[in-house]
Amino acid sequence: MKAKIKHIYEHHYKKLLFFPFLLIVLAFAQIIIQYSVTGDFVNKGVSLKGGSIITLDYNQAINVAELGAFLKEKFPLAAISVRTISSAGEITSIAIDSDAQESGEINSLLMAIKDKISADGAVYDEDKFSVETVGSSLGTSFFKQTALALLIAFILMGIVVMIYFRNLVPSLAVILAGFSDILVTLAIFNLTGIKLSTAGIAAFLMLIGYSVDTDILLTTRVLKRQGETMAKIYGAIKTGLTMTLTTLAVVLVALIFVQSEIIKQIMLILFIGLIVDMAMTWIQNVGILRIYLERKNKAKMGLSHK
Amino acid sequence: MKLKQIFTNWRVILLLIFLLFSVIAIKPQLLGNEGVTIRSVATNSSAAIAGIENPSSASTPLAKEKIISINGDKVASVEDYYALTSALEINRTARIETDRGIYSVLTKPGVDGSLDLGLNIYPAPSTNLRKGLDLEGGTRVLLRPVEEISDDNLEITISNLKERLNVYGLSDVTVRSASDLSGEQFILIEMAGVTEEEVKELLAKQGKFEAKIGNETVFYGGKEDITYVCRSADCSGIDPRQGCSSLGTGGSGCSFFFAITLSQEAAERQAQQTKDLAIVTDSGESYLSEDLVLFLDDAEVDRLKIGASLKGRATTDIQISGSGTGITEAEAVSNSLQNMKRLQTIIITGSLPVKLEVVKMDTISPTLGKEFLNNVLLVGGLAILAVMAVILLRYRKVKIVIPMALTLISEMVLILGFAALVGWNLDLAAIAGIIIVAGTGVDHLIVITDETIRGEMISDWKQKIKNAMVIVIGAYLTTMSGMIPLIWAGAGLLKGFALTTIAGLSFGVLIARPAYAAIIEILLKE
Repeated sequence: MKAKIKHIYEHHYKKLLFFPFLLIVLAFAQIIIQYSVTGDFVNKGVSLKGGSIITLDYNQAINVAELGAFLKEKFPLAAISVRTISSAGEITSIAIDSDAQESGEINSLLMAIKDKISADGAVYDEDKFSVETVGSSLGTSFFKQTALALLIAFILMGIVVMIYFRNLVPSLAVILAGFSDILVTLAIFNLTGIKLSTAGIAAFLMLIGYSVDTDILLTTRVLKRQGETMAKIYGAIKTGLTMTLTTLAVVLVALIFVQSEIIKQIMLILFIGLIVDMAMTWIQNVGILRIYLERKNKAKMGLSHK
Repeated sequence: MKLKQIFTNWRVILLLIFLLFSVIAIKPQLLGNEGVTIRSVATNSSAAIAGIENPSSASTPLAKEKIISINGDKVASVEDYYALTSALEINRTARIETDRGIYSVLTKPGVDGSLDLGLNIYPAPSTNLRKGLDLEGGTRVLLRPVEEISDDNLEITISNLKERLNVYGLSDVTVRSASDLSGEQFILIEMAGVTEEEVKELLAKQGKFEAKIGNETVFYGGKEDITYVCRSADCSGIDPRQGCSSLGTGGSGCSFFFAITLSQEAAERQAQQTKDLAIVTDSGESYLSEDLVLFLDDAEVDRLKIGASLKGRATTDIQISGSGTGITEAEAVSNSLQNMKRLQTIIITGSLPVKLEVVKMDTISPTLGKEFLNNVLLVGGLAILAVMAVILLRYRKVKIVIPMALTLISEMVLILGFAALVGWNLDLAAIAGIIIVAGTGVDHLIVITDETIRGEMISDWKQKIKNAMVIVIGAYLTTMSGMIPLIWAGAGLLKGFALTTIAGLSFGVLIARPAYAAIIEILLKE
C-alpha cells in the first residue's frame, strides 16, 4: 500500500496535479453560487454587516453572565455578546449585541430575554427596552480595500520570491499555492455556514504566512541544494509535515479548550487552511516544480546534443 | 561547560538583553496590584478642585495615579472604593490618599444631587500592557446628527470621525451607524483608553475651520487648503516666548503654537485679500489694517496680525496659537497641549458634513473579560505542551524540546514587551498577530533543527546554520511583503494585525531564532 502511494506520488505527479486544480475550480464554483444566492461571497457576521443592539435597564435581579450564556446557547449563530453599560461607576443598563437585523429575529431575541429575566424574578417594563439597529463598523469600502491590499500583497510577495529564487515558474508556483490555499479555505468555510467575523478575516490573512513557510521550504530545498530531486522533496516533506502537524496539534488544542467563539473561528479557519495547504504544497507546488525541472533538463540536454 | 558556552554566545546574550528590556517594559506586578487606578477626573469636580490631575492618555497604565485609601480606610478593590465613597457625606472633607500624595477633597453633590467626587476609576492594572476595547471595555458615545442627512453623508461623517480619532492617536475604535425603531439616525462610537472629557470636544465639533481676512474666507481646514500641520516638537508645543503665567483668578494659563503650511492656491487667495489693505503702525511695528482671524465652528479661536511686508504676497507658512488653563501650572500645560492636539486633529481632518450632538456617553464593559484572558493563557500553556509533545515524538531529544519551548516563550515576551513600550492596545487583531508569530516561530525552529541534524555529509556547522537561515529569511521576507500592504488597508483591524505580525516576526527572525540556532549548535555538536 505504502509502496503504491509512493509509486503514484513519484511517477504520476502530473495526473495528481488534477486534484488541486479541481479543488480550485470547485472553490470558484462555490463562491460564485454563494454570491448569486446570498449576494455576498461569504456569510458575513455582525462585525461585517451590522446587526442590532437591545438595551435594557439594569436590575440587580438580573445575572448578566447567566443571561449571556443562556442567549448564546439559545441562538448559537447570532453572534451574541452581552455587555454592561455604566455611568459614574454604577451599572445602568445591559446591552445585547447580535447580528439580528430582521424584525422577526429581533422579536424572538426580545421574547427570549424577557422570559429569562422574568424567570430570574426581575420585573420588566416594556419602555425599559430599546432596540437600535447598527451598521457595520467597517464601512462599505472595507472589502474593496482589503481585496486591493491582498492583490498588492500577492504582487509584492511575487516580486520578493522572484528576487530570492531568480526563477519565474517556481516563484509563481509559491504565489499560486498561497492564493489557492486562501480561495479553497474560503469555500470550505462557506460550506460550514458559520458567519465570518473581522477576526476571521485576520485568520485568512494568517494563512499567507503559514502557506509561504512550507512553499519556501520546498522551493529552497529543491532549487538551492545539491542532490536528487525526489530525495530533496522527501526531505522537505519530512520537515514540512512536522511543521504542519505541530501547528495542527496547537489548533486542535485551541479548538477543544478555547471558550471564545472568535478565537474558535480563527482556529477553525487555520485548521481548514493547513489541511488545504498540504495539498497545495506537496501536490500542486511539487508537481509544478517537477514539470519545470524536467523541461529545464530537457532544454539543457537538447543544448548539449548540438 | 556547554552551559557556559551558551551563555557566552553573543546571539544568546543579545536575546537575553532584549528579554530583560521587554520584562522591564511590561513591568509585571507579580504579587498583584491592590487599589484602584484613576481613569479620569471630571473638570471642576470635587476631585479636580482638590488638585487630583486628569491622567494623560499617553501615560503608561502603571504610571497612572492610584488611590490607596479614603479617610484612612484601605481601598483594595473597586467594590471597596464604591462602598467607601457611598458612605461619604456631602459638604465634608474627605482625605484621599494616592500613590502621589494626600488630597483633602470637599465633597460636592453631582448632577442628580447625590455625592459625586468626579473620579472615574478601574481596578489597578498588574502590567503595563494596555488592553483593548474587547478586553477591557471603554467609552461608548452615542451621537446624533442635528439634522437629517443622506446615507452618503452619514458614511462620509463616519469615515471622517474614524480618521479624526485615528489622527488624534486612538487606534482601538469602532464607529458604526445606528438607527432606532422610529428610524432616527445615530452614530455609535466605542473606544478604549481615553477619558470621556478628552474626546467629547473632539466628537461634538463639526470642525468647520476657517481663516478670514475681513469678511472673506481665505482658507478652510482639511487637506485641500492646508497641506501640512506640524506636530513635532521643533514647530509645535508650548510657546517658548509666552510660556505659562499665573492668572488673576488663581489658576495658570499657557499658550501653545504650531506651524501649518498652506497650499499654493490658498496662499494666492490670501495674497489677493491682503494686496488692497492699508498699512497701520502699532507700537513701532507695521501691520496690515485687517487681521487674519481663525474660526472654529463660527467661534473665533485665534487672531493673527499680518506683518506689513506680507502685503499682497503669497505666503504658505502660518503659525497658529491658542491657550489652555488649569488649576496648577502642570495641569495648564497638559490642557494646553490637549487643546493643541484637538485643534491640529480638526484642521487635518477637516469638517464633518453635519453638526453632531452627544446624546449619551458612558462606560461599556468588555465583550471578552477576565475569564477570556485566563482561558487564553490556559490554552497558550496547553498549546506549548502540545508543540513539545509533537517535537519530542519526532526528534526524541529533550535537548531540542526545551530550547524550542524557551525560544517560543521568549518570542511572546518580546512581542508583549514591544507592545507595552509603544503603547499598543492589545485587541483581538493583536492576539491574532501573536498567534501567527507563534505558529511561524514553530515552523522556523523546526526548519533550523532539521537543517542542523540532517545531512551528515555537511560537517560544517556554519554551512548548516546558513542553509537554515536561507529558508527562514526567505519565508520572513515573503511574509513581510505580504503584510506591508495590509497596514494601509481600510479598517484599523488589519493595521493592528499587520503591525503586530511584522514586529513579532522581526523580533523572532532577527533575535530569538538565531539564538535558538546557536544553542542547538552548541548542544548537538560533538
